[in-house]
Amino acid sequence: MNLELRKIEIKDVVFGEETGVKDGVLTVCKQDIIDGLKEDVNVKSIKVDIAKPGEKTRIIPVKDVIQPRIKVEGKGNGFPGVTSEMVQLGSGKVNVLDGVAVVTIGDIVGFQEGVIDMWGEGAKWTPFSKTLNIVVDIEPVEGLDPHTHEATVRVAGLRAAELIGKAGKDAQASAVEKYEMGDIFTEASKYPDLPKVAYVEMLISQGLLHDGYIYGVNSGKILPTLIHPNEELDGAVISGNCVAACDKITTYQHQNNSAILDLYNRHGKDINFVGVILTPELTTLEGKFRTCDYTAKLCQTLGVDGVIVSEEGYGNPDSDLLMICKRLEDSGIKTVLITDECSGWDGMSQPLADTTPEAVAVVSTGNVSHVVELEPADRVIGSAEAIATLAGGWEGCLQEDGSMVCELNAVIGATSEIGYHNLTVELY
Amino acid sequence: MGQDFVVVTNNPMVGESQGEVMVVDGGFEDVLLKVRDLVYEGHQLISHPIGASMRMLFSPYRSVLVGSKGSETMEVYALTIEGSIDTFRRSTANRDVDHVNADDYARIDLELLKGAINEHRVIQREKIQEVQ
Amino acid sequence: MSYKVLYYVNQFFGQVGGEDKAGMAPVMKDEKVGPAMGFDQLMGEEAEVVGTIICGDNYFNENNEEAIKFIVDAVSEKKPDLVVAGPAFNAGRYGMACAGVAKVVADELEIPVLTGMYKENPALDESRAKAIVVETTDSAAGMKNALATMSGLAKKILKGEKLGYPEDEGYFAQGRRLTVFSDKRGSERAVEMLLARLKGEDFKSELPMPVFDRVAPAAAVKDLSKAKIALVTSGGIVPNGNPDRIQSASAQKWGKYNIAGKDSLEGEFYTIHGGYDPVYANELPDRVAPLDMMRKFQKEGLIGEVYEYFYTTTGTGTSVGNSIKFGVEIGKELKEAGVDAAILTST
Repeated sequence: MNLELRKIEIKDVVFGEETGVKDGVLTVCKQDIIDGLKEDVNVKSIKVDIAKPGEKTRIIPVKDVIQPRIKVEGKGNGFPGVTSEMVQLGSGKVNVLDGVAVVTIGDIVGFQEGVIDMWGEGAKWTPFSKTLNIVVDIEPVEGLDPHTHEATVRVAGLRAAELIGKAGKDAQASAVEKYEMGDIFTEASKYPDLPKVAYVEMLISQGLLHDGYIYGVNSGKILPTLIHPNEELDGAVISGNCVAACDKITTYQHQNNSAILDLYNRHGKDINFVGVILTPELTTLEGKFRTCDYTAKLCQTLGVDGVIVSEEGYGNPDSDLLMICKRLEDSGIKTVLITDECSGWDGMSQPLADTTPEAVAVVSTGNVSHVVELEPADRVIGSAEAIATLAGGWEGCLQEDGSMVCELNAVIGATSEIGYHNLTVELY
Repeated sequence: MGQDFVVVTNNPMVGESQGEVMVVDGGFEDVLLKVRDLVYEGHQLISHPIGASMRMLFSPYRSVLVGSKGSETMEVYALTIEGSIDTFRRSTANRDVDHVNADDYARIDLELLKGAINEHRVIQREKIQEVQ
Repeated sequence: MSYKVLYYVNQFFGQVGGEDKAGMAPVMKDEKVGPAMGFDQLMGEEAEVVGTIICGDNYFNENNEEAIKFIVDAVSEKKPDLVVAGPAFNAGRYGMACAGVAKVVADELEIPVLTGMYKENPALDESRAKAIVVETTDSAAGMKNALATMSGLAKKILKGEKLGYPEDEGYFAQGRRLTVFSDKRGSERAVEMLLARLKGEDFKSELPMPVFDRVAPAAAVKDLSKAKIALVTSGGIVPNGNPDRIQSASAQKWGKYNIAGKDSLEGEFYTIHGGYDPVYANELPDRVAPLDMMRKFQKEGLIGEVYEYFYTTTGTGTSVGNSIKFGVEIGKELKEAGVDAAILTST
C-alpha cells in the first residue's frame, strides 16, 4: 500500500463567506457547516466556535477530536463505513489541514469529562492546546435513546471534519509524508536482517461510551485483527470513547497514531515494521482470555521478534495488557508496554491494578491522579455543568477566585497510552 | 433457556429483564465485597469487577456478573476481585462519589451490563437472544 | 542566618556505653556529641547542631510512648529546621529508633528528617518515605562518607532546593512517582526501549513491577482430629521476666518454652513486642498466641494434640535474613518432633 499525507500548513483560522485555504489561512463558512450537519434529522442545532493557542479559552466537555482532510487521489474520502461508502483505505493522496483540529463537545451524559485549556498551566498537559481548534457543539433532538444520541454526535463530528477538510482540495502542501509498505514477504526479503516488529493496539470495546470502530464495525464484535498501518493513518479507525479523557484515543490520534508513525520512521532502518494488530478490550474474563490468546497467536504467526503494546483506558484493561505481555514473553517475543498509571495524588501508591513479572519494559505516560491547577478562563466553550462535574470531585476543588484543581484524568490526551504526548514518570 | 449467572448489583435500574438479580444494599465497594465473598465460596467470576476508565470508578452504581458455584475457589478469580477492590480503594481515596450524575451512571452501568451479558452469551451453546 | 539542627543518636554513638546502656532513658545534651560533631563541622556556616539527644536503643523500642514524648518536647524547645538521626548503618534497633523519630517529626511535627542506613537495615522500609535515608555501608567504618553525603543533602533540604534523582544524590528512593515532561513522546521512548531489548542492550523500565516472594504452601492436613499442632508467634510473647532477653524489636533470637499442662498463657507470660500497645496482650497473652483456644479444640476433639513447646520471637524490625533463619530453625525442630501443622500468629 502507498499512502501520501500532504501537509498543508495552516497558520490561522477565521470565519468567512466561503470555506477555503489561502496563504496558510483557513476560512470556514459557519453556515455551510451548520447546514451540512443539520441534514441529519437527529441534529437539532449546531454551534461553531474557534479557539486558538494562547487564548484564555477553555473547551469542555470534549467528546472527540478529528483532523480535517480530503482525499485528492484515490478512493475513500471521509470515513468509509461510517460517513461514506465502504472502500478499502490505505492508498492514495490525502491533503491534510495541518495544525487544525475539529473538536466536538456536547455530552451524552452529565459526567463526561474532557477539558482542553488553550493557555497557561492547563495547556501544557494536552497536545490540543497547540492546534487551531474548530469547536463544534452538537445538540441532538430530544427523546433519542442513548445509543442514537452518541452515534449522532459521533457522526456529526466526523462529517464536520469532512466538510472543513474540503477546504484543502486545491491547496499547496508544504510537506509530503510518504507511507509505503508492501506485503510481509516482500518487506522481509528487502530487509532480511532487520528484527520484525508488530504493534498491538488495544481498543476500549465495552459498550456505550466505551467503543471503537473499524470501518464502522464496533470493536466489541471482533476477534483481534491484522490491519495495515496505512489504513489507520487513512481513517479506518475512529473513536467512540466518551469517557477516560486522559487516555482515550481520539479519532485525531488514530489518524496520527504516534506509535505507528514512530515505528514507520524506523522501518527499513532498524526494524521491519510488520503491521498492526487491533485488539478489543472486552468486559468478560472469558472474552479477555480469548482475546489475549488470539493476539499472542497472531504475533507468533507473523513470526515477530518484538511487539509494542499500547492500552486504552484504566482499570480492567490493565489485566489484558499484562496477559498479552506474559503470553508473548513466554513465547520468546520481546515486548514494550505503553500505559498510564494511577499512583495517587502524592505518587506514593502502587501504580498498576495488576502486576506480572514478565513486564520488564514499560513506558509510563503519566500518573492519571496527578493534580494540576487550572486558572479561571476568560471564555468557556461548552457547559458550565461539566465544569461543576470537573470541580466536584472533592471538597476544595473549586477555589473562590474561580481556579480549579483537577486530576490529569480529566485532561484530553494528557496520558495518552499510544504515547502521543510526552509525559513520563520518575521515581524519587 | 437456562441462566447460568447472577447480576450482583446496587443499581436500581437493573431488573429482572437482565436475569436473576442479587441486590446489594450499599455502594460500589459493597458490591465488590459481595462479589469477593461469592468468589471465595467458589463462584465463577464472569465479568471483570471494575470498568475501563477512571470515571466509572466514581459511579455510585456497579453491576457484576457472577456465575455458578464450583467445587473450589479459582486463583484467577480471587486475584482479579482482590486486585479490583485494591484499585477501587486507591483510585477513589481522595474523591467523592458522584451523586449529582447518579441517574446517568445508572443508565451507563446498565448499558455496560447488557454488553457484558451479550458478550457472555456469545460463548453459550444455547440459543442466543440479544438483550435489548 | 544559620539553620538549626537537632541530632539524635543511640547510647553507643552518644559515647555513654555499649549494650549495657541500651536501656538508658533519653537525655538532651546542649553540646554536639559523636557524629553530631562531625556533621556540624561539615555544615559550616550554613547550620548549627543545637542539641544532641542520646537514647538507649532498647529504651526507645520498649518505652515508645515516653521516648516519642521526649522527642516532641525536645523539638518544641529547640525549634530545629531539620532533625538528623543516626546514621544507623545495619543496626536494626537503632534503625527502628530512627524510624520512630522520622515518623513523629516528619508526619506530625512536619519538620524534615534526615538519616542513614545500610540497604538491609530492617527499619529501611518504614523510614524511606518519611525521612531522606542516605545509603551507607554496613558498619561505622563508613561514617565519614555517610556524614559527607548527609550534610550535602541537608544543605539542599534546608534551602528548600529540589533533590536530584536518588541514585545520583545517594539516598534511597522514597517511592514517590512524579509525573514530569520528557523531551520525547511516549511512543518514541517505547520504540527506543524495544530496539535496546532487541539488540540486547541495557534499558530502564519506567514502571518497575513489584516482585513478590512466593512460598509454596504445604499439603493440607488429612485428618485434623489426629494432628499434632504447634503454636508459634512473632508477637513477642515471652515468660515473665523475659529470661532469654529476646529483643523488643529487630530480634536476634527466638525462644522455646514448655507449655505442657497449661490451659492458657495468662499470668505467666507477657509481651515484649515494641510494635503495639501491650495492655491487652499483657492482660491475656492468648490474645496474641491463642493457647486457650487450641486447648479448647483439643478437648473438643477437633485437633489431636497441642505440641508441648511454644516458640516465640519478635517480628517488628526483624531483618528478612534473620526471619528466614528463625523460620528454618524452628521448622526443623517441629518437623523432627513429628508436628503436622503450626499456627503462626503475627501482629
